[in-house]
Amino acid sequence: MAKRIAVDPITRIEGHLRIEAKLEGGKIVDAWSSSTAFRGVETILKGRDPRDAHHFTQRFCGVCTTVHSMASIRAVEDALKIEIPDNARLLRNLIMGIQNVQDHVIHFYHLHALDWVDITSALQADPKKTAQLAQSISDWPNSSVKHFEAVKARVAKFATSSSGLGPFQNAYWGHKAYKLPPEANLMAVAHYLEALEWQKEVIKIHAVLGSKNPHPQTFLVGGMSTPIHPDSQNAINADKIAYLMKLFKQAREFVEKVYIPDVLAVAPFYLDWAGIGGGVGNFLSYGDFPESGGNDVGSYYFPRGVIMGKDLANLMEMDEAKITEYVTNSWYNYAQGDDKGLHPYKGETKHNYTGPKPPYEWLDTNQKYSWVKSPRYMDQPMEVGPLARILVAYVGGNKEVKAAVDFVLKTLNAPASALFSTLGRTAARAVDCLVLAQRNETWLQQLADNMGRGIYEVHNKEKWDPSTWPKEAQGYGTHEAPRGALGHWIRIEDQKIANYQAVVPSTWNAGPRDAMGQKGPYESALIGTPIADPNKPVEILRTIHSFDPCLACAVHVMDGNGSEIIRVKAL
Amino acid sequence: MNVDQKSTQVSIPEEILQKWEAKGVSRRDFIKFCTATTAALALPLSFVPKVAQALEDKRPPVIWVEYQSCSGDSEAFLRANQPTAGDIILETISLEYSDVVMAASGHLAEEAKHNAMKKYAGKYVLIVEGSIPRGAGGGYCTIGGKSAVDDCKELVKNAAATICVGTCAAFGGLPAAAPNPTDAVSVMDLVPGAPIVNLPGCPVNATNLTATIVHFLTFGKLPAVDRLGRPKFAYGKRIHDNCERRSHFDAGQYAEAFGDAGHSQGWCLYKLGCKGPETFHNCPTCRYNEGVSWPVMAGHGCIGCSEPGFWDTMSPFYRRLPNVPGFGVEDTADQIGLGLAAATAVAFGAHGVVNIGRSYFGKNDSDADQE
Amino acid sequence: MHELRYVWEWPVRLTHWFNAISIVVLSVTGYYIGDPFVSVPATSQYVMGWMRFIHFLFAYIFMLSVLSRLIWAFLGNEFASWRVFFPWATSKGRQYIVGTFLFYTFVKAKPPGVVGHNALAAMAYVGVIGLYVVQIVTGFALYGQYAPGGGWDSSLGWLLPIFGNQGLRLTHHVVMWLLIGFSIHHVYSAWLMEVKEKNGTLASIFGGYKFIDPKELQ
Repeated sequence: MAKRIAVDPITRIEGHLRIEAKLEGGKIVDAWSSSTAFRGVETILKGRDPRDAHHFTQRFCGVCTTVHSMASIRAVEDALKIEIPDNARLLRNLIMGIQNVQDHVIHFYHLHALDWVDITSALQADPKKTAQLAQSISDWPNSSVKHFEAVKARVAKFATSSSGLGPFQNAYWGHKAYKLPPEANLMAVAHYLEALEWQKEVIKIHAVLGSKNPHPQTFLVGGMSTPIHPDSQNAINADKIAYLMKLFKQAREFVEKVYIPDVLAVAPFYLDWAGIGGGVGNFLSYGDFPESGGNDVGSYYFPRGVIMGKDLANLMEMDEAKITEYVTNSWYNYAQGDDKGLHPYKGETKHNYTGPKPPYEWLDTNQKYSWVKSPRYMDQPMEVGPLARILVAYVGGNKEVKAAVDFVLKTLNAPASALFSTLGRTAARAVDCLVLAQRNETWLQQLADNMGRGIYEVHNKEKWDPSTWPKEAQGYGTHEAPRGALGHWIRIEDQKIANYQAVVPSTWNAGPRDAMGQKGPYESALIGTPIADPNKPVEILRTIHSFDPCLACAVHVMDGNGSEIIRVKAL
Repeated sequence: MNVDQKSTQVSIPEEILQKWEAKGVSRRDFIKFCTATTAALALPLSFVPKVAQALEDKRPPVIWVEYQSCSGDSEAFLRANQPTAGDIILETISLEYSDVVMAASGHLAEEAKHNAMKKYAGKYVLIVEGSIPRGAGGGYCTIGGKSAVDDCKELVKNAAATICVGTCAAFGGLPAAAPNPTDAVSVMDLVPGAPIVNLPGCPVNATNLTATIVHFLTFGKLPAVDRLGRPKFAYGKRIHDNCERRSHFDAGQYAEAFGDAGHSQGWCLYKLGCKGPETFHNCPTCRYNEGVSWPVMAGHGCIGCSEPGFWDTMSPFYRRLPNVPGFGVEDTADQIGLGLAAATAVAFGAHGVVNIGRSYFGKNDSDADQE
Repeated sequence: MHELRYVWEWPVRLTHWFNAISIVVLSVTGYYIGDPFVSVPATSQYVMGWMRFIHFLFAYIFMLSVLSRLIWAFLGNEFASWRVFFPWATSKGRQYIVGTFLFYTFVKAKPPGVVGHNALAAMAYVGVIGLYVVQIVTGFALYGQYAPGGGWDSSLGWLLPIFGNQGLRLTHHVVMWLLIGFSIHHVYSAWLMEVKEKNGTLASIFGGYKFIDPKELQ
């Protein structure tokens, strides 16, 4: 007997996500991913100053803050052929670098860990054994018996207070899918709390370079607005560099001594998840972190590329012209029929909510059922994210990535094919975090070197004035956000935005079925997932969370009031 | 000379300090937090014990919901310090529901929200993040199959007080920017007359959020607000009037381009479009991320993110004045005005020339006219 | 033939010149405040500070001057009276409107003979006074922001949520240009009347007297 379940809302993600799944014989046999909220930012952008666009797009998402600013200014710079100064490249790398590092740690400890860690079981842990465990996997200083005693006391006090469990109530505690011993659970809870402290410290890098976090404000078309001058107290000077060095070191040490050891300690208990949640098997990475030039794709630290059908031997070149978006099962209409895919430059979209009238119990998944579109590459669904990035880098020649991946696989005694799974996704995120945490300090050193050589330029103002722009221009900007391949496409006419389209990581991953009936990556990955208790489908959360969903990003596409978005030819 | 003595006069009762110590919060941190909060609320130092008492006594239930949001305010909350998000969640409030933080998912999450609403009706504090779309019969945003409109109305009506964090919940924000495709509104527009305090900002400054919560705990009521529902302690002054670069403004020292000498020497960003003179917020004094920086300090002008409708009224962000409706983006008010004045001068000049010509050559005409 | 008539009483002349000087000063300082075209090398200077101070000072002078003139419209002589600003309300006034219009468009060589304001000018002044009021209201609403809860903020602050700070600022700025445009027109018209009528129009705003040929008034 088939049974249908819905998980709505999926929490510990950004935005509003709903998963419906059909169960048969204790396994998921079909799944539908739906986003249940949208805002229409692309419509709002039309007619505005392209230099302002990044402020708007950054608000696609407050969790992956910065990334949409990055893609937006790159799109405008591509359209207007603007080269940025070397310092701007480094400032951007540093801001993006720490964003990835901090975001991955938050994801692992605060959004993902509770799928694997049973907080209530931590109360049974022996602090002495916990300390032994912690000391056996890392030389992190906060591993004393006293420390774990204090954490246990704090959690116990909280759990037994009359106010109840607060945000930890009603979860799937005690579910038999939780397999960690109490001591590992206590250690994880301790690190949950430590990571909460750590993340707000290291992200001060954004405050120094970008004024604040979330939503740093120093991005500029043509560079950055963060002044650099060793002799000014109002610019990045030696004092600020020293402060940044301290923070980057703090970031790296936590990743090296807490995050990575924790992943390696927890994974052995869940090795079955190396065979679950594989998904579509196609991977797309735009690549990022230029090592030279303003934004030289060839110099990207994470290379650009495409892998189809899990074929690691065949790394393909990425061609943005092969990207299309379908709305067959999304609440939009295309003028020429909903069964055709359109390239983002042609981004002709019209919203049309045909879902059930709220309040509703089920979506009609035979029809349109999501606010997310279905992007395809060569008409194939693609997975994006740390796993895609790491796979492309692994076969694309990044030495640090190769070493880190090989180390993880060797430690877990797993084959490379184990990467195509829920566990693989989580491990790849850790690898991504590690190599970036280590790379950041190099970029900071380069910035200091530039200052030493008297290079202070941060902004190319040549084309700042709109009167210097061509009458028409179009361009696209890409970025490897924490959650994966992000692209913005912009069309500028008469110094105004004529059309704006963003194809973001969670659109790639969370999209519904396309015209050919091909499932999106979330939907594919859920197929075959065992569900022990349909009322407590923690297994769904594990796989969905392994993608790190971000739905506010994914749903922003629409054209309001039925007005026609100007259609342009792809170059 | 008696400064030290004076400050010791306002002491926090020993038993409270001990209780917090037992919870793992050091005396120093706790006193620091209470003092900072008291200062943020613009209260005299004699209120420090009262603030400490308030933190001690009640752990009020709090429900944090998100609608058309980007979770930026939830993230801002995670960056809170004094107390940190961890301290707040574990020791200060009882967070019954939060999309970003909570462990439960699906119907169990919704059940927790529903139960809290029933159990603590009239007593819980509601925190709303994101605007609420009224279009498409509520289809633009649903949670657990329920529309944001219905969800928000029910939660606001049962709450003791509602705190709107971020500009979207307070004023509609980004989704409500022209042409407002989803008919998004703020909480105060959706539920007029409800006890609401607005904490706009994109995102909200976590310091102002914690201060508002503590104010509510201390006095059992919301802080005094201005005509837009913003607490006076945080939005009572313009950024411009507290700006660290004000002396450069008054002197007449302006950065002319990003990266020029004036820019790197911290001159005023007025000519690069800074909207500090238009914006009420305590950014210059509180700053962000534990006081590390804020936009003007980092070299970029204010974009007015805590003002109603700022996406439309404060943009273009790199110009002082908005575009004149009906003219292109390049035509600033000054260019239009100058053109207008010049056209007037030319028109009347021509008029004058004709007149002179007529007086000089056309005596007969005027005689004829006299008839 | 011509006789000397006392047309502009001293309050009219005084407020005229206060207005004129205020408009010049407020435009120059206001333009600088909107677009500071002078940059100085050191914080020991106070250019923007002085500009703003002068702007605010003259804002008060201008407001009082406009207010005085409005009051005088109810106290002054027939040429200063509020009635002259609505010529379209009487049949004689309507004739004057047509006559003046024909003169300005070169159809007639001479305008209708009047002692005080010509009909079209009087109508234009209603618009100008309207602009004055807009400037005063928007200006003081913006000014009041420095002290929320103060007098100006309490009386005019309600405008801010309705039109927005930037909306008021833009209005204040655009009306400045309209008034500059008006000033050009005004000086030209006065000169034109001086030339055409040879009645001492330009001098009258200093001394108050005009040379009037009573025959032309018929």
